[in-house]
Amino acid sequence: MYSTVVSGALLGVSACLVSVEVDIAQGLPGFSMVGSLGGEVKESRERVTVALKNVGLNLPPKRITVNLSPADIKKEGNAFDLPIAAGMLEAMGYFRPGAAEGILFLGELGLNGEIKKVRGVLPIVREAVSKGIRQCIVPAANAREGAAIPGIKVRGAGHIRDVFRFLESEEGEEKERLLPAEQADSAELSVRGDRESMPDFSQVNGQETAKRAAEIAAAGFHNLLMVGPPGAGKSMIAKRIPGIMPRLTQEESLEVTSVLSVAGLLEEGTALVGERPFQSPHHTISQAALVGGSASPKPGIISLAHRGVLFLDELPEFRRAALDSLRQPLEEHRIHICRSGGNVTYPSDFMLVCAMNPCPCGYYPDKSRCSCTVPQIRKYMGKVSGPILDRIDLCVELQPVDLPGLRKERKAESSREIRARVQRARQMQMERFAGTECRFNGDIEGTNIEKYCPLGREEQELMERLYQSLQLSARAYHRILKVARTVADLEGAEMIRAEHLLEASFYRPSAEYWSV
Amino acid sequence: MDENGAIRVLRQRDREYPQRLREIPNPPKELYVLGRVPEEQIPVVAIIGARDCSEYGKYVASGLGAALGHSGIQVVSGMARGIDGIGQEAALDAGGSSFAVLGCGVDICYPAGNRRLYEKLRTGGGILSEYPPETPPRPGNFPPRNRIVSGLSDAVVVVEAREKSGTLITVDMALEQGREVYVVPGRVTDPLSSGCNRLLKLGAGILLDQGEFMEELRQICEKKGLRVEDEGAAEDAEQEDAGLTEAQSALLAERPELMAVYRALDFTPGSVEQIRGRLPKQYREEQISVHLIRLCMEKLAVQVSPGQFCICRSTFG
Repeated sequence: MYSTVVSGALLGVSACLVSVEVDIAQGLPGFSMVGSLGGEVKESRERVTVALKNVGLNLPPKRITVNLSPADIKKEGNAFDLPIAAGMLEAMGYFRPGAAEGILFLGELGLNGEIKKVRGVLPIVREAVSKGIRQCIVPAANAREGAAIPGIKVRGAGHIRDVFRFLESEEGEEKERLLPAEQADSAELSVRGDRESMPDFSQVNGQETAKRAAEIAAAGFHNLLMVGPPGAGKSMIAKRIPGIMPRLTQEESLEVTSVLSVAGLLEEGTALVGERPFQSPHHTISQAALVGGSASPKPGIISLAHRGVLFLDELPEFRRAALDSLRQPLEEHRIHICRSGGNVTYPSDFMLVCAMNPCPCGYYPDKSRCSCTVPQIRKYMGKVSGPILDRIDLCVELQPVDLPGLRKERKAESSREIRARVQRARQMQMERFAGTECRFNGDIEGTNIEKYCPLGREEQELMERLYQSLQLSARAYHRILKVARTVADLEGAEMIRAEHLLEASFYRPSAEYWSV
Repeated sequence: MDENGAIRVLRQRDREYPQRLREIPNPPKELYVLGRVPEEQIPVVAIIGARDCSEYGKYVASGLGAALGHSGIQVVSGMARGIDGIGQEAALDAGGSSFAVLGCGVDICYPAGNRRLYEKLRTGGGILSEYPPETPPRPGNFPPRNRIVSGLSDAVVVVEAREKSGTLITVDMALEQGREVYVVPGRVTDPLSSGCNRLLKLGAGILLDQGEFMEELRQICEKKGLRVEDEGAAEDAEQEDAGLTEAQSALLAERPELMAVYRALDFTPGSVEQIRGRLPKQYREEQISVHLIRLCMEKLAVQVSPGQFCICRSTFG
């Protein structure tokens, strides 16, 4: 008997459909599997055999062949157990031929027949919908994730026995009740997006300049560098940035959830992620862990930070090679990884937030406390590669907080208030960039700068004077314009005015601090 | 000599060998020279101090160097990073002449970061050393070269020095050689001024005001029978630099808010938050940063680091 059922394989964060063919024929008893299989897929043979036996469905002593097609795509992951088992049952004639037709199967089997959660359900289900599949059976733990995609009935199953009963029963209400379809909840995204438990800017007293820089960075998706002594609140501010960034759109949320799903990091029972990610790797991180990939490619930290914040604390302590590998993703917003296990492209459009001390002891340029020599400072600063600094739009220095600053007379603004302004700036940017590749002011290319950041005559003159008196480079000049655009957007101003340019200049990263 | 930039060797019997060095104990037997040696008939002042100087030190050194250069007084120092180099460069830029005494061969630019100054000194003064060309800058070379710095000068000015500082070696040498020592005072809490303040306690001359210092210098030099330029030059320099330019004053008068922020600045670099603390409550941080950048643009303030600002003036006194 021959049977075929549909499953799916991951290719980066996208997916392709795989048909699982099972043939049971007369001959020497045996069980062979072909189709360019990874290690965990080959092991599936043992899991399926034992699981079926434990629910009382012994495999016949016949020649069993399983083929996963297309054969030239490397199949990896644990999601093929359930489709193989389903195909096997059909080939053994336990239910009528065609009962499994048009259904996508995904799931790992335990030896007792339990169905366990797998990675990459969201992208695979998305691909299935686009290929016209209208029904799928996935592990119960992944059901809500799959249900986030409209246009497909997603049934969550906890045990192979349930799947078997479902497939053998006749069409009708009874069958529906066996494996009910998960309801996609459209309100879910916004509900989860409300951040009750998130850290809030109202908890940060003082450091108004740094908070303002964070606000500008969040509004325009600009990369930010914070320099300051230990304990000034750099990490505290960084952690609060996702909370003031504009809300994820539906499309962005799908992207973020897909990456998490592929990495197997999506929490059980999650539908769509509504919060922007915040990734803060330790400075000992390897290049592969940062950008992704091992022998077989997996998303790295930069892809997990997609549409969110990548925070690098103690920037000069990171390995040079790891930092330099950020150059392509910072430029192109995605990372292309080539490994022996295949070539994949992962999205990596993140906002880079870095923090560092100004010198090894942390107190430079306060000469009365800093005990570092100039060569020491130069060496420390030199560890940060120029190309990375070139991609930083805003630089802000934090001072140690003194006691009066902590007991501030003013109440610190809450993330909600800041976010309202950011959201308005986001709205203006959406209108400005409608129909283009750009999403935020931070994405404006040098060639488009005059189109998006036009200046009046007076402002043009001011910029020329700034260019000379602050000894700006051409790149720094462009950066100031981009940041000024965001400052103007925050205010709701159509045109960039002098004070916007001046404020943007205040936050300009300047090479001179790195040559001491 | 050095039309083509050649290095000359002066021995004590040579006519050109500086008379001032003949007077000191243990004068250098040979003096390698690139460029000129200081003129015998014109006063020489040494400006010395810390390498890792503060904004205050930079400001005083450049103001002093410029005033000396302007009135034709020769400035000698060690071409080190910090006070030494800043004082020398200011003197050259003001049209004066300056001389560097190195702890290595005169063909080596040490520290390499002062290449620009080195080139200026070759034409606007001279580079001197008692070590033959190609001698590398060994740490042991520097204390002995300090005796030449003080030996060549009529007065030594210490701008900034820590309690333990190479500058103090120069001061010792200067006293041994009978040179006048002037010290710029600093705050008692400032480690970069602790050496200076210590010297003041020991009775060193105190440099409070540029005009006063120039007057005292004139008296010293007249006693030695040296040629001092007319008072007018120094006065002019002061008149020109002490205050703000017309455009700057006009701008400040026009914008009271800018004026308020300018008044809140001083020579200790301060953050926006600190500056805000000195201003009335209605000033917000964003406004202050805007005003600060405008002040920088008008050369009324200096952005010392991404978040710290101090006042900018070209002279003091």
